[in-house]
Amino acid sequence: MSKWKIYTPDGVQDILCDDCYQKRELEHRLRTLFRSYGFKEVEPPAIEFYDVFASEGSGIMQENMFKFFDQQGRILVLRPDITVPVARITATKFRDAVYPLRFSYIGNVYRYNEYGGGKQNEFTQAGVEIFGVNTPESDAEVISIAIQALKTSGLENFQIDIGQVEFFNGLMEETGLSEEEVSQIRMLIYRKDTVGLGEFLKRTSISDDLKHLIFDLPRFFGSSDVIEKARSYNLNDKSKAALDNISQILEILDDYGHSQYISVDLGMLRDLTYDTGVIFRGFTYGVGFPILAGSRYDRLAGEFGMDCPATGFTLGVNLVMMALQRQRIPAEKPVTDTFVHYHREGRTAAFELCSVLRKQGLAVELDVSNMTVREAVRYAAEKNIGGVISILDDDNVEIHYVQTGETVRVKISELLKR
Amino acid sequence: MRYLSIAMSKGRLTDAAVEMLEKIGIDCSEYKAGSRKLIFTDESNRIRFFLVKPADVPTYVEYGAADMGIVGKDTLLEEGRHLYEVLDLGFAACKMVVAGPEELAGKLDSLNNKRVATKYPRIAREYFEHKRRESIEVIKLSGSVELAPLVGLAEVIVDLVETGRTLKENGLVVLDTIADISARLVVNRVSAKMESERINRIVEGLRKQLENRHEAEKGR
Repeated sequence: MSKWKIYTPDGVQDILCDDCYQKRELEHRLRTLFRSYGFKEVEPPAIEFYDVFASEGSGIMQENMFKFFDQQGRILVLRPDITVPVARITATKFRDAVYPLRFSYIGNVYRYNEYGGGKQNEFTQAGVEIFGVNTPESDAEVISIAIQALKTSGLENFQIDIGQVEFFNGLMEETGLSEEEVSQIRMLIYRKDTVGLGEFLKRTSISDDLKHLIFDLPRFFGSSDVIEKARSYNLNDKSKAALDNISQILEILDDYGHSQYISVDLGMLRDLTYDTGVIFRGFTYGVGFPILAGSRYDRLAGEFGMDCPATGFTLGVNLVMMALQRQRIPAEKPVTDTFVHYHREGRTAAFELCSVLRKQGLAVELDVSNMTVREAVRYAAEKNIGGVISILDDDNVEIHYVQTGETVRVKISELLKR
Repeated sequence: MRYLSIAMSKGRLTDAAVEMLEKIGIDCSEYKAGSRKLIFTDESNRIRFFLVKPADVPTYVEYGAADMGIVGKDTLLEEGRHLYEVLDLGFAACKMVVAGPEELAGKLDSLNNKRVATKYPRIAREYFEHKRRESIEVIKLSGSVELAPLVGLAEVIVDLVETGRTLKENGLVVLDTIADISARLVVNRVSAKMESERINRIVEGLRKQLENRHEAEKGR
């Protein structure tokens, strides 16, 4: 028995009419934005070798990937991410290109138990990556595009938090802790688990000054004053350079006119990733998850055989849609403007009329179920179609305005002049 | 102004949590009136709070349905959700332990196949697989976990221990302590940013209260 025939699997869903329309509109706006900054879109395959994502640095756990085998028994995955394939493409197919390279993408990714997108296992990501430069200007441009992306999607109240992983790495160098211990601290700060962090630090033999700073790290967020506060500590060169880097990026973003959206979070870390510098996330009301995330990741292309600095961000299209809906930001809906009704003798005229109206940009639905005029008007009312054009003969039509109930007879030639 | 919502654990944590919130000026009279409503409101502070099963608090907070939550560390460890744990509220203190018959004391390593009975499969796995690097078979139970080693369902258990009396009366001993448990204040990751001012006021209020209590205890 085909027991599951009428269901969809866990974590995937049908996206229907209005939602689908809104999603395509959003994707279209994002694509237009990315193009306007000179990004070239790429489309990696949905199926990749598991090896592409297998390294620790990819930040995607083995158990979260959809895996299967090809005919030779090699392990395949449904791509859990698009940044990694784009790095693969850059390192293998654009070795001799003129850098920097600007790539963008919009596509679906697949993960088990993904908490983003409301526990969806399939969701859409849109993002950009710049390869070949390691400048604060490139990081700032990517952050600026992220802000534009949220604005163009219709969101007004959102915040971008910026951190720098090297600040934390510099602190960790000074502590002399083992890799294992550092990853524990990273996890504690990532979760802003101040309780666990306090307990952990108590057991270590780090200097009091440093201990104090590490303990306070989860609270190092807010305006750019945070950076000044951090500078007052005795820091090593790596941490100092990280602060300088953030300051430079903030300065550039100020010139972009984006300061109102920006805040600093020096305690922002990710659990397991390829981040090597600035790191940022976007938040808004109504969604409990970051709606976008980005970072500098200078070592990722190296995994595929070509050292190349890179920076980029990815935005969760489904999450942005959820935010728009929760914040009740009105969205455009798909509409059919006109319903054309005809009899056998008016057929050629009906086809011609439809074709002309469609070329004018109207959405026109043609009667294919041999309705009567009354049925056609009722159908149009039911479907929120503005009006019915009933073809009388080769020259004359009758227009029924659904809302007012008004009926007018006009010549086709006149109608087309309007 | 938008309502700030707090998810509270229904049960042994509720009263202590309400008491702490009242002391920082949050009006919980609606709850105390014994109403059957699911959502209580403090209009003057624009705060809403609701009571849910402890295990659900992290879910509400992770999804942002609640901006903050008050929940036991045991539940946080078991649920493993992405949220910020900002304050140890101190009350409902106990320990998460591995316990078993006395003859296993110091010999936990010698067992080849370990069957572990517990209400907390994730904590048990995390402890044995990551800390001890041992494979185990988890047997998930919903209560009276102490019974399992006595009737041969499992070798050891992972459970919460407050006084240790139940263990003792059933001839079990603590073999190792996994974590100290108490009530925690947790915050949604986005709310922590978007509502940082209001949330910080509550966090700092509670923190001061805890410090004062601490001082008072020391002074005694």
